[in-house]
Amino acid sequence: MADKRFVSTTVEVEGREETRIVELPAFAPDPWDEDARLDVVGQCVPRMDATEKVTGRAVYSADVARVGMLHATIVRSTVAAGSVTEIDVSQALALPSVRGVLLRADVEGIKYDGGQLFDPNIRYAGQPLAAVCAESREVAERAAALVVTRVERAPHAATIRAALAKDAPKVRPKGNTGRNHPAIAERGDVDAAIETADVVVRREYRTPVQLHSCMEPHGAVAEWIGDHVTVWESTQGVFNSRADLARAFGLAHAQVRVIKDYMGGGFGAKNGASVAACIAVALAKKTGAPVRCVFDRAAEQFDTGNRSATVQRVTLAAKKDGTLAAIALEAEVMMGVGGWFAAPGKIYHEMYACPNVRTSETAVYTHTGAMASFRAPGHVEGAFGLECAMDALARELGMDPLALRRKNYAGRDQEKNRPYSDKRLDRCYDEGSKRFQWRARGRPGRGQAAAQDGRFRRGQGMSSLCWGAGGGPPAYATVRINADGTVDVLAGTQDLGTGARTVLAQIAAEALGAGIAHVRTVLGDTERLPYAGNSWGSMTTASVGPAVRMAAEDARTKLLDAASAIMGVPAKHLDARNSVVTSRQRGAAGRELSFAAIGEELGNVMIIGQGSRGPNPDRTAIFTFGAHFAEVEVDTETGRVRVLRLVAAHDSGRIINPRLAESQLEGGILQGIGYALFEERVVDESLGLPLNPTLHDYKVPTLADLPAIESFFVPGADTTANHTGAKGLAEPPNIGVAPAIANAVCDAIGVEVTEIPLTPWRVLAALEKASRSAR
Amino acid sequence: MSSVRIRVNDVSRELDVADHETLLAVLRDRLGLTGSKESCGRGECGACTVHLAAAGDRTRPVYSCLTLAAACDGASVTTIEGLGAGTLHPLQEAFVAQDAVQCGFCTPGQIMAAAALLADNPVPDEPAIRAALSGNLCRCGTYPRIVLAVRDAAQRMKAARG
Repeated sequence: MADKRFVSTTVEVEGREETRIVELPAFAPDPWDEDARLDVVGQCVPRMDATEKVTGRAVYSADVARVGMLHATIVRSTVAAGSVTEIDVSQALALPSVRGVLLRADVEGIKYDGGQLFDPNIRYAGQPLAAVCAESREVAERAAALVVTRVERAPHAATIRAALAKDAPKVRPKGNTGRNHPAIAERGDVDAAIETADVVVRREYRTPVQLHSCMEPHGAVAEWIGDHVTVWESTQGVFNSRADLARAFGLAHAQVRVIKDYMGGGFGAKNGASVAACIAVALAKKTGAPVRCVFDRAAEQFDTGNRSATVQRVTLAAKKDGTLAAIALEAEVMMGVGGWFAAPGKIYHEMYACPNVRTSETAVYTHTGAMASFRAPGHVEGAFGLECAMDALARELGMDPLALRRKNYAGRDQEKNRPYSDKRLDRCYDEGSKRFQWRARGRPGRGQAAAQDGRFRRGQGMSSLCWGAGGGPPAYATVRINADGTVDVLAGTQDLGTGARTVLAQIAAEALGAGIAHVRTVLGDTERLPYAGNSWGSMTTASVGPAVRMAAEDARTKLLDAASAIMGVPAKHLDARNSVVTSRQRGAAGRELSFAAIGEELGNVMIIGQGSRGPNPDRTAIFTFGAHFAEVEVDTETGRVRVLRLVAAHDSGRIINPRLAESQLEGGILQGIGYALFEERVVDESLGLPLNPTLHDYKVPTLADLPAIESFFVPGADTTANHTGAKGLAEPPNIGVAPAIANAVCDAIGVEVTEIPLTPWRVLAALEKASRSAR
Repeated sequence: MSSVRIRVNDVSRELDVADHETLLAVLRDRLGLTGSKESCGRGECGACTVHLAAAGDRTRPVYSCLTLAAACDGASVTTIEGLGAGTLHPLQEAFVAQDAVQCGFCTPGQIMAAAALLADNPVPDEPAIRAALSGNLCRCGTYPRIVLAVRDAAQRMKAARG
């Protein structure tokens, strides 16, 4: 019986494992193991679209202008809960050059994370209620301001506490907590282990709602021609966006073309068709003209998703020697009105060797904007609780925090009891602590705080992290050799600023034997390119990279066959490197033919290679790891925390382009610094309105906040994961920063601050509380 | 409405602008110069930074989203598209060389702010770079490389001056 052509495989996406049926690729290239001699992969090739970006020529969605284009503005709710009783658009329509309005009746069945578009049942402040379009944005904004919306207010619950209160107003008809929540996952017997442990620590941690704050707001331009529509959208997934729009408008996939060329950041907030795209498509259809719809900054901040706030009650139990006996978590997770459950509990199951682990998590719905994936969703929140509690345990045990983590090193995937494809966290500990010059500390009171009594106190802290970023199928690529020997890599993925354009070209150049200068990547177009999934879950390189490699290997085989016919040398004696085919055959050794010369000979007989991403290995945990080390200085008079330096050691398998990869580490670390120190969406509890939906009041890190960052990868190649040996790396650097900083602050001042961001007032309050209890 | 004459990237323009119209809107929507980006629209992020020299005044960086076009009569404006005058400006070369770019959306504003700094202070130290660029947000977090790029550009410009 022939082998199965389609097999089942598992893929981890944003912390969730999915099972997929995938076609086995026609062949599997030999893995590039750690010692493989590679020319282009592993080099710091300059970012291929940098020149377009530094000259202002890179075209983002809001830069797209079509002839006769109209501009849409969204009318939004100014209350957190209630119902719309009347929308009067007569004054808006009377304004010259207003061309149309879009109301609830026009958008039946168009859904997004917040529910039905323009739902008259208001569940959060800022909820879209209608849209207006006009010949200029200014007129559209004036018209939107003239729309009269009558609303019957209802009580709201804008915080976890309010939503869980007795008789709380209902956010969803079925109540304010997730279905079948608390979701409980347990291995071993946690209660018994706590009972018999030598040491037990219990803590409660709080993390804020963090806002993606992409520099490029959500936006789209839509243009109908006949019965098909083209949409230029700022999206992390053109194919996902296409599927969403096709479903919403009852169209075939072939009737929708989504294009994303340049993209001004997503970080998880742009994973499908946005409200802006739905409105642009609907208004373009209604008015018969192209429509641009771009969110303003306030909407970008309160209506495009966010990282869930959490409350985490953590119990750690251990033996005297530091061996973990039990880990327990009870958590509430703030969803807003929707989204998916990004579990903070997952990292509690994964990070350390421990036979007894229980997490009990409750999704809490509130009258605020829906959550969305945000750079390592769940793990960023969970790592703060787990890693701060590990330090509390280390203090209780009189043990060095790094030694405690090494003591509980997991040699196998704890959650699913399966081997790791590869794990080099020990190398991260070794190399990170060495570069940081980590000073081991032992007995309580031996931290930095005890040695300092001045106003400014310094401390050091660390954290561990893990994140499943193995990528997986489906993903496809085509490699095409043009008649002049240049190479096009075609893949329906997208470059969010990550460097996918460059990295995929490097993989193709390596596998094909082409010079990198002759290779370009074409991406972000559903009509012209083979499928690739969303750029989320740190998946693009490990998903699309192997497909590109296979396509390039396929093209190489055909190219060498063609060269063989031209040169009269058997293909097995030919080699390709730097866009030149060279003979190794005795007698003809050293004979060369460039790709361009082959192309000239072939004319428009085109060499095309096809590739696809194969299944992941069975029963194997594919993870990335890292260790972060932070040094801070705390001003004990003002409570201000300054991060002085941060060392981040990461294990992501093979690094295709170290310069681009390290830049992503730095970026993730900076977002982590924002999460640790500044970033917090504040909602007025009585009004249910966001108080800081601007970049002035919601603080993201600036250049002035930049510490010395030393981030790097330990060498490796995970060839069990896939044949390129590369794993993901975008999200991991965001995970370890906040706990490393909080642990350093505790080391500096001798007091735990258990809620982030570590604002001056929180630090001062903790100091005050400690000095009161000392008196 | 008022009629204004503005020199944009060395091309003289006569435009009728509404009283509320921003320089950014004129550049992007009327002149097709979309290199200047709108991210916040209220002077908080720096993505729309351009150079403005009011008649008889020195050149300074401005947030074009907070600059009324009607107030620009007689002024000269330089945008990212006009910075290099046909070739790459040393800052643009340095931003490429140092990979001071991820998504690129804030990049034109960063470069325009840095160009204004280097015009005033040809060899800035790191605190001066941090101060001059702290009004330009980069959510991707390319700040370490932006600092390197500005220093690199200063060296390139110094070498070119001889």
